[in-house]
Amino acid sequence: MAKRDQGEHKAAPMVEEVSDFEILELAVRELAIEKGLFTADDHRHFTEFAHSIGPLPAARLVAKAWLDPQFKKLALEDGVAASKEVGIDWLNPTGFGTPSDYTDLRVLEDTPTVKHVVVCTLCSCYPRPILGHSPEWYRTPNYRRRIVRWPRQVLSEFGLQLPENVEIRVEDSNQKCRFMVMPMRPEGTEGWSEEELAAIVTRDCLIGVAVPHPERKQNAARPVHKAVHPVQHDH
Amino acid sequence: MSKTHHAQKATGKGDPQCFAGEAGPPKFKVGDQVRIKDLPDIFYTRCQVYTRGAVGEVAVVTHESPAPEDEAWDNVDRPEWFYIVRFKQSELWPDYPAVYANDTLQTEFSERWLELV
Repeated sequence: MAKRDQGEHKAAPMVEEVSDFEILELAVRELAIEKGLFTADDHRHFTEFAHSIGPLPAARLVAKAWLDPQFKKLALEDGVAASKEVGIDWLNPTGFGTPSDYTDLRVLEDTPTVKHVVVCTLCSCYPRPILGHSPEWYRTPNYRRRIVRWPRQVLSEFGLQLPENVEIRVEDSNQKCRFMVMPMRPEGTEGWSEEELAAIVTRDCLIGVAVPHPERKQNAARPVHKAVHPVQHDH
Repeated sequence: MSKTHHAQKATGKGDPQCFAGEAGPPKFKVGDQVRIKDLPDIFYTRCQVYTRGAVGEVAVVTHESPAPEDEAWDNVDRPEWFYIVRFKQSELWPDYPAVYANDTLQTEFSERWLELV
């Protein structure tokens, strides 16, 4: 064994930074388990479920609305009723008796002259039953502070630049309403099926920081990168 | 009223739907010009500081619910109407670029925060 320096270099301890809110959540959770409101396994099951849901139902809702004017009318008037038609029941979103959010969904319709973008400056309110967990950046103070104040700059950082004649309408989701954006159907999608259309309505389009593009699909095939030094399987 | 009671009240109806019909007629209507009051908020509020004193237009009359300043303390006996108000960005941020004069921001208030202009 090679001789090493003695005592010169010690590994720094790994420190997990735990915020006050995480401690609060732990305390409330442990109390609830002690009181028998739910078990640790119930909690784990719910967390696993919450991480498994995604924005596909919301994408389906938008695609359906693009194709069916009657459904579009319903979506704009009553987001909770329209959600049911894509399989999401806001009153029982988990299917095992755990309400997880307020139940007033508003769908914001983009037009050639109005572009919506959603934020919650106070915390991170997000229509989770229909969009799943919010992306990490949505919860950062950086996004929450800056999108209300400098929306064009922030959208530009996301790669979205809009002309002056388009009104950018920031929706600060601060109360019990939850919001999702219904973007405009892009050109180049004529004759597409609901399924094909839903595939281009990605999470970021539903938050409003991006617009759908006919060639950008959710669940797109991963790019395959050729190995620089490929293993030879010829033996 | 206990939290359990609130949860039971919302079961099968949803929250805020479970407070429907409890606030009387709404004081404001879509299109009204309103100013956001600068009320004290000692313990808890969801009324952003950046809207205080600004004038906007009622865009949507949303629903009835206890105000968060009350509900945070489990006081759910006096629901209010809620309103989504639309502001010109230039009303909120004096140095917002004039070239983007059309840009707006919407956010929601309980009735106590609004006064007619």
